Amino acid sequence: MSGPGARRLRKSALCWLALSPLLVLCLFPYAVMFITAIKPASEVLRPTWWPSEPAWHNIVDMWNATGFGVALFNSVKVAVLSTAVALAVSVPFAYALDRFRFTGEGAVRQFLLVTQMLSPIVLVIGLFRLIVWLGLVDTTWSLVAIYGAFNIAFTVWMLQSYFATIPRELEEAAWIEGASRARAVAQVFLPLALPAMTVTAIFGFINAWNEFVIALTILRSDSSHTLPIRIFSLVAGRYTVEWHHVMSAALVATVPVAIVFSWLQRYLVRGMSVGAVK
Amino acid sequence: MRRYDAILPYLLLAPGLFLAAMIILMPLWQLSVLSFSDVNRFGVPRGLTGWDNYARIFADPDFYRAFWRTVVWTVGIVGGTILVAFPVALILNEDFAGRGVARVIVMLPWAMSLTMMAIVWRWALSGESGMLNSALIWAGVIERNVQWLAHGQTAFPMQIMIGILVSVPFTVTIFLGGLASIPDDLYEAARLESASAWQCFAELTWPLMRPFVNIAVVLNTIYVFNSFPIIWVTTQGGPANSTDILVTYLYRLGFRIGRMGEAAALSLLMFLFLLALTAVYVALATRKGRA
Repeated sequence: MSGPGARRLRKSALCWLALSPLLVLCLFPYAVMFITAIKPASEVLRPTWWPSEPAWHNIVDMWNATGFGVALFNSVKVAVLSTAVALAVSVPFAYALDRFRFTGEGAVRQFLLVTQMLSPIVLVIGLFRLIVWLGLVDTTWSLVAIYGAFNIAFTVWMLQSYFATIPRELEEAAWIEGASRARAVAQVFLPLALPAMTVTAIFGFINAWNEFVIALTILRSDSSHTLPIRIFSLVAGRYTVEWHHVMSAALVATVPVAIVFSWLQRYLVRGMSVGAVK
Repeated sequence: MRRYDAILPYLLLAPGLFLAAMIILMPLWQLSVLSFSDVNRFGVPRGLTGWDNYARIFADPDFYRAFWRTVVWTVGIVGGTILVAFPVALILNEDFAGRGVARVIVMLPWAMSLTMMAIVWRWALSGESGMLNSALIWAGVIERNVQWLAHGQTAFPMQIMIGILVSVPFTVTIFLGGLASIPDDLYEAARLESASAWQCFAELTWPLMRPFVNIAVVLNTIYVFNSFPIIWVTTQGGPANSTDILVTYLYRLGFRIGRMGEAAALSLLMFLFLLALTAVYVALATRKGRA
């Protein structure tokens, strides 16, 4: 065996071999989740890998036994509304940062950067007191506001890096034709920015969907739980855990989001690295 | 019209700044007040006490244990992540059959939320019926079931391993971006001068990748230092505080054992530390931007 074909084959095999320990580790949690989710209840505690037969009805049972529907509704509500809040304030924000020079711009950028680096965990006690003071404990509305606010920095960076690629000449041409600034933005600029806004919105949705510590602190009753809190409460502080239900719930909560995330992941670094990394 | 244009940017910024300030500055103010107050078990402040809460934090041996464990946690995960991610990015930058599939698989841990990841591992690490034990016994690595989460000595390294696993995808993405920015001509030129593969790496790849490594280190340090779900979901800092890091120690102080004043003081100290890290990040990012 020789020639470029054989060499490429050998190189490919070597690459896969070198990556294999990491690849196994990456797939392992998904495998555990999936296999446990479809194990019959009687086999869950037996440390075998494969179920004797797949118990697809676990997912239906889980739905009724865990109050999954309510938590799903709460999660969707919080994720959609907080993303809408973040977008509504971030689109004008990013437009101003990209299209205007103004005093205090540097300060605004630095404030934004600090809010992005600030994890909710160091603020959680202050946030909790704020929410108590507003009388919003145990409501998902408080999460809408908090997630919306924490998403602003990321949303602005993502949008601004994209807005910078939309030529000013397009808007200026509309002005020359007599359109007002607002009209030019609405009819020329925003339609072009729509793809960036969609991608950014999806990441905002996923962030809110996944958030843990604030929801853990503010939500008390089952009826207000979001999915991560609902599923965590099926595990924490219980003597018997119905692991096949827990893993079914985790599977249903994770897989749709994971597919969308994997598909869009390459756009993500733009917003996370604050324009420093291409 | 001109005057309108001058205030327009501020009008556009106002809603976002207002919301961010509400959610960031108000809690910071609350934390400051609490940290200098005598707070009872129900979170009600009863007058100012100066630096008492700070003094009590620094007198608590649990704080020092959590602090050092946080150092191990952060250095272990960030260091481990860079060590794994760099060669993985180099491999994924090569042209080989099935590279697209391999990239997707490497990114998978990022697609699951930290909470779900931690819940799955809590189950996988269970001593009697955990699938990690059965997999390791099958592979001949261990002979008997290990009670992973029952002791800090086994639980904490596992938590660090989970932390590395979930940090690798983001870091690989940064490195792949860096590798893509190195022009191919440089390698062509090096090959013409018959440089060895090692020389190419040491003289070209590594120096050109340094800014990206720096940024990955700082960003990961910020994320890992703050990372709460992995430890809280798997062990809640236990057993007997043996896996406590600062964020779980802080959460327990504030919401489990009712020492809100001290928890607020610790929050502010951690906030200042993060501020310093952010300044480092800005310095690195702008230096690279200019280069």
